[in-house]
Amino acid sequence: MSDQTSQSAPKSMFARAWDSDFAYNFRRTPVAVGSAFVVALLVLSAIFAPLIAPHNPFDPASLDLMNGFTAPMAANEFTGDVFWLGTDDQGRDVFSTILYGMRISLFVGFSAVLFAMVLGITLGLIAGYVGGWIETIIMRAADVQLTFPAILVAMLIFGVAKGITPIEHQDKMAIWVLILAIGLSDWVQFARVVRGATLVEKDKEYVQAARMIGRGKGIIMLRHILPNVLSPVLVIATISLALAIIAEATLSFLGVGAPPTQPSLGTLIRIGQGFLFSGEWWIILFPSVTLLSLALSVNLLGDWLRDALNPRLQ
Amino acid sequence: MLTFVIRRVFQSALVLLIVGLVAFSMFRFVGDPIDNMLGQERTDADIARLRTDLGLDQPFPVQYVKFLKGAAEGNFGVSYRQGRPVSTILVERAPATLELAAVSGFFAITIGIGLGVFTAIRRDGFMANMIMSVSLIGVSLPTFLIGILLIYLFAVELGWLPSFGRGDVVNIGWWSTGFLTASGLKALILPSITLGLYQMTLIMRLVRSEMLEVLRQDYIRFARARGLKERSVNFRHALKNTLVPVITVTGLQLGSIIAFAIITETVFQWPGVGLLFINAIQFVDIPVMAAYLMLISVMFVGINLIVDLLYFAIDPRLRVDQKGAK
Amino acid sequence: MKRALSILAVASAMGGPVLAEEFTWAGTTDPQTLDPHAVNSAPVLGFLNNVYEGLVRRGKDMSIEPALATSWEPIGNGKGWRFLLREGVTFHDGSSFDAEDVLFSYQRASNEGSDTRSWFSPVSDVKVVDAYTVDILTTAPNPIFPDSIANWMMVDKGWAEANESALPDKENGNYATLNANGTGAFMVSEREPGLRTELVPHAGWWGEVEHNITRAEFTPVQNPATAVAALLSGDVDMINPVPIQDAERLAGSGDVQVIRGIEARVIMLGMAQESDVLKYGDDEGKPNPFKDARVRAAVSHAVNVPAILKTIMRGNAEPASQLVSPAMRGYSNANADRPVFDQAKAKALLAEAGYPDGFSFGLKCPNNRYLNDEAVCQAVTSMLAQVGMVAQLDAMPVQNYWPELRADNYDMYLLGWSPGTFDAEHPIRFLASTPNKEKKLGSWNFAGYSNARIDALLPMIQSEIDATKRQDMLDEAAKIMQDETAYVPMYVQPLVWGTGKNISLTQRPDNFFILRWVSVN
Repeated sequence: MSDQTSQSAPKSMFARAWDSDFAYNFRRTPVAVGSAFVVALLVLSAIFAPLIAPHNPFDPASLDLMNGFTAPMAANEFTGDVFWLGTDDQGRDVFSTILYGMRISLFVGFSAVLFAMVLGITLGLIAGYVGGWIETIIMRAADVQLTFPAILVAMLIFGVAKGITPIEHQDKMAIWVLILAIGLSDWVQFARVVRGATLVEKDKEYVQAARMIGRGKGIIMLRHILPNVLSPVLVIATISLALAIIAEATLSFLGVGAPPTQPSLGTLIRIGQGFLFSGEWWIILFPSVTLLSLALSVNLLGDWLRDALNPRLQ
Repeated sequence: MLTFVIRRVFQSALVLLIVGLVAFSMFRFVGDPIDNMLGQERTDADIARLRTDLGLDQPFPVQYVKFLKGAAEGNFGVSYRQGRPVSTILVERAPATLELAAVSGFFAITIGIGLGVFTAIRRDGFMANMIMSVSLIGVSLPTFLIGILLIYLFAVELGWLPSFGRGDVVNIGWWSTGFLTASGLKALILPSITLGLYQMTLIMRLVRSEMLEVLRQDYIRFARARGLKERSVNFRHALKNTLVPVITVTGLQLGSIIAFAIITETVFQWPGVGLLFINAIQFVDIPVMAAYLMLISVMFVGINLIVDLLYFAIDPRLRVDQKGAK
Repeated sequence: MKRALSILAVASAMGGPVLAEEFTWAGTTDPQTLDPHAVNSAPVLGFLNNVYEGLVRRGKDMSIEPALATSWEPIGNGKGWRFLLREGVTFHDGSSFDAEDVLFSYQRASNEGSDTRSWFSPVSDVKVVDAYTVDILTTAPNPIFPDSIANWMMVDKGWAEANESALPDKENGNYATLNANGTGAFMVSEREPGLRTELVPHAGWWGEVEHNITRAEFTPVQNPATAVAALLSGDVDMINPVPIQDAERLAGSGDVQVIRGIEARVIMLGMAQESDVLKYGDDEGKPNPFKDARVRAAVSHAVNVPAILKTIMRGNAEPASQLVSPAMRGYSNANADRPVFDQAKAKALLAEAGYPDGFSFGLKCPNNRYLNDEAVCQAVTSMLAQVGMVAQLDAMPVQNYWPELRADNYDMYLLGWSPGTFDAEHPIRFLASTPNKEKKLGSWNFAGYSNARIDALLPMIQSEIDATKRQDMLDEAAKIMQDETAYVPMYVQPLVWGTGKNISLTQRPDNFFILRWVSVN
């Protein structure tokens, strides 16, 4: 158990992750199974949205404004069309729009977190392990980065991107700008925590032992220190994924989100909040519930993953 | 220790310079202030003249140097929007944001640590699991939506709390406080929860995760074996040792509370610097944006410094380490 | 000022128990200055109409009525106008109003640094005849001059000079930016820019008091949902605007009433007619189809305005056929029909112009300028797509929008226009004249629409005294613009205010909120 932790943990973590303990642990944790199911369901329905969705909400020519504000399961008073989850202000089928919107949200979320994580871990490890002026530069850069609220980072990147992107590519640009903006505003958290933990880990016996037997810095960082700082990283990454999806919504609230003609889940909620008092509850409720189930399941799954992957908790 | 502090202060000054530069280069992309300053019957000549008056026709480096000169003397210029010195406006608005940040920070830390410890100790308890799951709902929705839902529930439907603003404030010198009136305190509740919820959840989860690891450590087992009281083990020994990463994250979060007060202040029409900043973006009030960013930078740099110093105080290993690393 | 004294001075943003005569209201934009000559924008002028007054003012039905002038008449066969001033009028600080103040206010408001300068471009001189008579001379006969100065507000010469505010200072601000001294029914008792402004009645006001307010307070509230919540929870007595979608629900709720009207602002689509090529979309760089009037006509038939009005505007707006609404002077009744929604006709027109398969282009749109502007643009995008015109929609905040329009970065754009003079001549001057910097014409004609007959008609309209002849020319201009589809006017923006049930007030079509018409019951 834990007495063997310090020396053999790095190696056994990967091994353990794939042997039957892991699978067994998963099977007997109902919350993990449940949230994995929800995440899988949502991700799959997002991927296969064009096959599942009854309409293509991103095709403006297919929309009929007269279908606007149709209540769920009710016939529209002008066209007689019926929509499962109703329609929004543009006459878009809410169900289809959610499926398509989730694609964008998930794509932005995964990409942004991946970007932030790779960047943050790399810089954090280097800063913590190498130290010296490199650390100073990285951590001061982190200070500068933290100073800028994500909204501002997004606006800056939006502005710059607008200036340098050829006009015909600008509509596809928004998504990448979002990924860059959210990822950039998030890497510091990873870097700071990884650096903090690295500072503690690097003088532990097992690292010193590795150094003594002549292992290179890169190997030590990746093979020995990295696995031991993964616990806080997973906590942050978990919340970050949900957060990135939500950050996109917030940016949209402030006017720099996904374009309204190709709304993400967050944009849908932003649009829907305008109808909170007017009685069209379905425009905000269904996207919110979808976002909530997605974020909640990701978080719960992350919780379980963390416990299961952490060698010290086994 | 002293050299460390001096070095950090020097670095901080550099950071501020860079922030100023980045902020300034950003302003060219946020829009054009001219349209908000002139009415619809303006002529092209009016536009050109105003641009000259504001110095916007000058090359970017000239504008930046001018800004730095002013900033060094504590002069951030005059707001395009309000026609008043930016420093005056910031001083007026700061108390609202600081009070809101203080209350939400206090809320996030106390409840976050308390719940974190509780959920770690009762790891498999029903309540602990409930708290873990329910707390996630709060961070699985965007802040603006939570704010609007809180307003809808507590201001519109129940009528218990005000829907916007700060309530009655009392002026003590230049500081206006909402702590001394009933309506001021009531007005603080919803925005503080909205603002602090995310931080609270993050702190709680972090404390729990760190506590769980520490509780597994040998020395805790020894302490238990020695017959120390459970309470003492949990708080004196375990909690204390979880604090390094918790302080890192908490310190950062306190800074973010102020930065992200922007959204809460917009939803609740809270008269702080965040709302000022959003208005400044809307009206392309460059002097206000620049000053706000500088202010936030000073705050962040300060918080970073404190966090680093606290590292020294809490984790003795780092003190030894610093000699080698720095 | 007051802050220093008041250790316990309570600044009430929403008050505890509200006294019957206290009135609080919320709007989206704070007046950025209290100087009536610094900024020519609706939020500033609308607010200051409660504090300052002009020689003439607009009544409840928008008609011009006497204010600080009791009467006026044209003099010297088109040379100008003579105004007889009201006697016994005092400013808020107690000093009296006379002809010197009018002359001073002219010099102040027509100064180079004043945003209101354009109002005085027809004026050649202002002469003080005696203490209560003023002659305003114009370069050409100007029949609508009194109409054009309803927002020209009188400032006390002594007060302004004593406080070093003889000229407005937009860039650095001065005393008059933060303080006001008008002759109006209300005076500013406290002002925290961007947060709240408190007004109390002016005891020495010359007019007959209709209101029963003892104290009024204005707070800007940006987020529409927050404003609605504030009204519903009784934290404020009035909000402007009510989000259109919430109007029906609010009207049905117990404590709140909704007051609807039509604003002076016409929302229209503009199309680039100068550029030789398209700038956006898949057909970027290809010849610009919008130069062809048939293509522009196709747009006007493809946009289903009734559907926009029914859903996005929820029946609160009226369709528009020309650049002004029917409430404006000079509206062309002869051209009141707007193009019908007819997709087949639109397709036919496109085919006739050589675009049977349509084309792709860029539509620029603000997302925080007009009511539901982004939703309208989205709807337009899908309607145009249905006839083959595939728009790439780019919606942005207004602070980025105007620079884009000025830089000609659009193929099609959304524009709202509210004529400052409430006269049909105004949009011809700003939107339809061939752009000419020297003559200051067509300064908002981003589209680059140009028609020699319109250019010739404008000066004739401006100086025609005979109302019938003038209307004939306005009708002709309206017809030309319709025939050539200079713009595609879609609808007149609705005006939706919400108040508590205990409030009675009058809504003016220019969206100015006049406090002296409010009473709290």
